[in-house]
Amino acid sequence: MNSPDSDPLADLWRKPEAPRSEVSACIREQCTRKLQARRGMSTRTRLLASLALSVGLFCMLAWLTRGRTRIDGSFRSALFGAAGWGLVQTAILWVGLATPPGRRCSKSIRLVLAVLTPILFLTYVGFAAPAWVPFHEAMQGHSGTHVVSCGIVGMLFSALITGGVFLLWRGTDPLTPGLTGALVGLVGSVAGGMAIGVGCANQEGWHACFSHGFGALAFTALGWAAGRRLLAP
Amino acid sequence: MTASSADAWLGIAIPRVEAPSVVSTAGMTAEGLMDAYVDGSAEAFDELYRRVSPTLFGYLLRLTRHRERAEDLLQVTFAKVHRARGSYLQGAPVLPWLLAIARRSFLDERRHASSRSEDLSSDGTLPEPRQQDAALSVDLSDALERALDGLPDAYREAIQLTKVAGLSLVEAAEVLNTTETAVKLRIHRGYTQLRKELDSFTRRA
Repeated sequence: MNSPDSDPLADLWRKPEAPRSEVSACIREQCTRKLQARRGMSTRTRLLASLALSVGLFCMLAWLTRGRTRIDGSFRSALFGAAGWGLVQTAILWVGLATPPGRRCSKSIRLVLAVLTPILFLTYVGFAAPAWVPFHEAMQGHSGTHVVSCGIVGMLFSALITGGVFLLWRGTDPLTPGLTGALVGLVGSVAGGMAIGVGCANQEGWHACFSHGFGALAFTALGWAAGRRLLAP
Repeated sequence: MTASSADAWLGIAIPRVEAPSVVSTAGMTAEGLMDAYVDGSAEAFDELYRRVSPTLFGYLLRLTRHRERAEDLLQVTFAKVHRARGSYLQGAPVLPWLLAIARRSFLDERRHASSRSEDLSSDGTLPEPRQQDAALSVDLSDALERALDGLPDAYREAIQLTKVAGLSLVEAAEVLNTTETAVKLRIHRGYTQLRKELDSFTRRA
């Protein structure tokens, strides 16, 4: 295989020709007419705002649900879990968004991150559940209704965070907008899932997986589709 | 919170009111020029355009194989760049950034074109198929260009980006939205075909 340094055709490639002068003049006119500074937020500001949005909504839900009766110690372990996943979120934001496109780690690594992290999150939610009941019991009657209502609240919070992060980073990645969008969806859904995990008193396994954890898979997939539209200039 | 800081919080880039800066563009990197352009320097845009437009145009010309379409797409690309300059992240390599926007513009345009059943010329008739130049090319560069035109799109793009536009394998993989290994493979296969074409050309010559 030829390396770029030993290209046998190197001397034969023609230098690319310039576009016609009238085309260039038209483009110049279009791009420099009334040209003013137009600098968006810095990368650091975008990163901090993304984290602040996640933390803010997380704290809000925790505050709103502070009076609920919970299993002993479940609130504290949920908070520890949230802190750990907060670090994961920060790392994903750093690797997938805050590093400028073209200087990020390889696409394969980010792809693995986008596929494995939601699975790991769902697994964590399942393992952290202190009790499991048979599936049919968890999905019928009041428990079933609670799975749906809690899931909707979780999705809503995930959507708020994901939407906010998309807004903060929109138009910043023409290179891999789909993959970056998946990471945005992942970050939003993990934050939303942890928020509802802290806010919800029901820590039963099936409930936790469907209402708190499933959003990570759904939002990663949705983020992929949305990213192609929102993150590409 | 003032109106402008609220806008900044929402990620909306609002043009500032200060006067555009005048900078010396000599010796600046493409990234530096892009930064200066974002800060409102028309001189930086001129220099950036002078440096990157042949590469972008050559790439689009190779994708479209049609000069006027390539010129239209070059305008579309720069219009997008102009609108999106506020979201350019400082430090991002400019050429892959621009090539990715150009490629996306091409793909969008092709998608729209494919939804039309036929392109009609201005007088309403079907366009004539393009005439292939029958004459044997006079030098090896011509033959190479022609052989490159005959390659499958994926091979041609990979070779164009790495050998002509000068991107690294990693950058080309990012622009093409594929892996580095896939780009290497496309270049290798493309080169194998090119070599065959050039061999037959030299035998005929």
